[in-house]
Amino acid sequence: MALRLTVNGEMHSLDIEADTPLLWVLRDELGLPGTKFGCGAGLCGACTVHLNGEPVRSCSTPVEMAENGEVTTIEGLGSGDRLHALQQAWIDHGVPQCGYCQSGQIMSAAHLLATNPSPGRDEIVAAMTGNLCRCGTYSRIVAAVESVVAGEKPAQEEA
Amino acid sequence: MAMNRRDFLKVGAGASGSLMLSLSLPGCAGLPTGYEEETGEWRPDAWLEITRDDRIYFTLARVEMGQGTYTGLTTLIAEELDVAPEAIEPRFAPVADEYKNPLYKLQLTGGSTSLATSWEPLRTAGASAREMLIRAAAGVWRVDAAKCSASEGRVIHPNGIDSMRYGQLVELASKEILRGDVALKPAAEWKYIGKQNRRLDARAKSTGTAVYGIDVSLPDMVYAVITRSPRYGGKVQSFNGEEVRAMTGVLEVMEIDRGVAIVADKYWRARKAQDALKVQWDFSGALGLSTPEVFETYRKAADEDAGETERSEGDTESVLANADKVIEVEYSQPYLAHATLEPMNATAWYRKDHMEIWAPTQAPDLGRIAVARVTDLAPDEVTINTTFLGGGFGRRLTQDYIEEAAAVAFRMDRPVKVIWSREEDTRHDLYRPAMLHRMRAGLNNGELSGWDHQIVGPQILNWYVRNAGPAQFPWTPKFLYDTLGKVGVWAEGIATPKDISAIEGAIDYPYQVANIDIRHTHIDPGVPITWWRSVGYSHNGFAVETFMDELAHEAGQDPYRFRRRLLENEPRHREVLDRAARLGGWDTPVPEGRARGIALIRSFGTFVAQVVEAGVENGSIRVYKVAAAVDCGQVVNPAIVVDQIEGGILFGLTAALYGEITLEQGEVQQSNFHDYPLMRQYERPEVEVEIVDSTETPTGVGEPGVPPVIPALGNALFALTGKRQRTLPLKADA
Repeated sequence: MALRLTVNGEMHSLDIEADTPLLWVLRDELGLPGTKFGCGAGLCGACTVHLNGEPVRSCSTPVEMAENGEVTTIEGLGSGDRLHALQQAWIDHGVPQCGYCQSGQIMSAAHLLATNPSPGRDEIVAAMTGNLCRCGTYSRIVAAVESVVAGEKPAQEEA
Repeated sequence: MAMNRRDFLKVGAGASGSLMLSLSLPGCAGLPTGYEEETGEWRPDAWLEITRDDRIYFTLARVEMGQGTYTGLTTLIAEELDVAPEAIEPRFAPVADEYKNPLYKLQLTGGSTSLATSWEPLRTAGASAREMLIRAAAGVWRVDAAKCSASEGRVIHPNGIDSMRYGQLVELASKEILRGDVALKPAAEWKYIGKQNRRLDARAKSTGTAVYGIDVSLPDMVYAVITRSPRYGGKVQSFNGEEVRAMTGVLEVMEIDRGVAIVADKYWRARKAQDALKVQWDFSGALGLSTPEVFETYRKAADEDAGETERSEGDTESVLANADKVIEVEYSQPYLAHATLEPMNATAWYRKDHMEIWAPTQAPDLGRIAVARVTDLAPDEVTINTTFLGGGFGRRLTQDYIEEAAAVAFRMDRPVKVIWSREEDTRHDLYRPAMLHRMRAGLNNGELSGWDHQIVGPQILNWYVRNAGPAQFPWTPKFLYDTLGKVGVWAEGIATPKDISAIEGAIDYPYQVANIDIRHTHIDPGVPITWWRSVGYSHNGFAVETFMDELAHEAGQDPYRFRRRLLENEPRHREVLDRAARLGGWDTPVPEGRARGIALIRSFGTFVAQVVEAGVENGSIRVYKVAAAVDCGQVVNPAIVVDQIEGGILFGLTAALYGEITLEQGEVQQSNFHDYPLMRQYERPEVEVEIVDSTETPTGVGEPGVPPVIPALGNALFALTGKRQRTLPLKADA
């Protein structure tokens, strides 16, 4: 089917099977490999992106559900050359080990801060529990999110 | 490392006048280094290249899978070269003899060896380059080189004012003589070693720009998915290829050694076509075991074969015969999957007598052999491009996914990317072997008098040597590959290090007991196995440290002090044990409903003791706190040490709480994270890591965090419930 969607502020027209997961459209059709494939079943969160401001598991989201929608991926989270405050915090705290899950982690954290600029520890943990990390970077993830919260820099809402 | 540094370091000028240093690691001395003495030409595989425009490239011969080589090894070069680690651009190494791991004589990353084997050679490379740059500058200025210094990528004139950039000096420096006697900085002068806390790959990995194997994209690339036998060793009998080939986007349906490959223009189309694929399998040579039979087989073997003696001191049998009390128990552990978050994948492109591979691999030279096996190419007609790895943990030491991509691409005229689904990744892994341990010990007046440990299970090298043998001797004609693979096992201990995968963590029993017997009964039920983060220590550590806890309780002693008294001559063991006990509040009251357990294991040269505080909440085991003390010698990057130990603890807890792969008539029963769960954020315990200040040669930290936490948790649960659990995973209601 032919459909249109906006990704990181850019409009795209595609001719693609409606049931193709959004993940593979982003990665293979639109050249945005920052969003990762981990489980294909919405269990690990590596493929998390924002669709109309809500976090979705793009591996289990048929692209037709994104029709005419606005998608934000890790590549579009910052504004231009400026990193999102969470990305900078991730670097400052040395969060990534293998790094494979981190795009999804950051997208989940970004949604949390977009809806709740000053979450407590429990709220952060709850929001991040859907994102698996095999390397065990969980404590640095919480520390990085808390540093952004403490810096009272509200996470910039995506375009 | 006592050797003349001139033996393994060479210098030359690059094509564009840059300064290039090549390094041949001690274990490979005698192998070609790539430097042509007569012509002065260099293969593009130098370790260090400094260009005229001040770019500094460092060839990283150990892959980055999260464990921090990208930062840690670069820091070693940076320290001696007098530049910030951030000023150096690491590049992943191609396959070349120079980049082999001297311990294995293979180009592989594993065994927590990267830092220990690079510690002196890489600092020497950095220092040598610095000295040559300084001498070049001194020549220009006509001053005494000894009075010049280097800082932040510049050589500083004795007047302290003038300076020259490294880039201005590289051409002159490349003509300087490489001296063997270059002095390494004393520890007091280090600016980055022990202090560098940033990770050089953090930015790429926080912006989605780091390139993993699965991210590789090539012109006209197509996608392949592979249907493999649900039972290991099954062969394709027939399949509905015509029907599947007619589906949208499908370009090819082909049988390969490992199953049936569907090639399509888009990944999702290949997956949809796979749903329609029907394969008839010939299971006549396939695995048919179920999990209970694995352990029955082990017990039968243990009864019939006392095993090969791996360590024997005193007269254990007669001591046990005369002991006041003999304690005899059996421990077992299941198969475990690696579950790297990036599923197996590889991209292959066959072009006119050459295959190029892009893959997240821990052993690129074995990757070349895997390609040679399934094509008519020789290993040197294969190029392997290593990417970032989305986790390794030992899984990516085996090159089956590269073999598949090569087999398919060899029959296509365009690049092919093979991607495994999570289900395929879980079901077609090579697993941490299931193991059985029979332990006996004697107590006389509360003193441990004898220790007998019979380890029952397979060893890993037998599974690994298939490609590792030929990789050590890549000029071997291909028809000899299988012979060479087997010879590798025969020559074990001669051509290859002795395979201690089944016995490590048992033979190095550290406690002072006069009578010790350690035996290994070798039995291999045919389930594919490989190295899994911390390998033998992952199961022997559980057996040894749980049994020590049982003995302490039998002897009516405190488990911490019972161990401590038996470590009189082991100061480094004792130090981490004391520190973990202090850090974990061993002698302080434990909150209601919780209990503490302790364990101590030295693995891969690094000493780690841990105290776990755990309880049972709403019918589930809850781990509240883990305190870890670590002695890994000289620390290069303290933050990475903490991260690796903490990550290892979570990896170990995942195994202790959930890890279990089971077989039913040869078929793996688990498939995805719902039935092979990983520890999640909300379950994370508070982890505290204390590092012993040490100037000993650094040892690895990628694996040693894993083993102690498993017995420490089991020991805490015993303290809580009074019920001893001797099999894994641990249960709340045991």
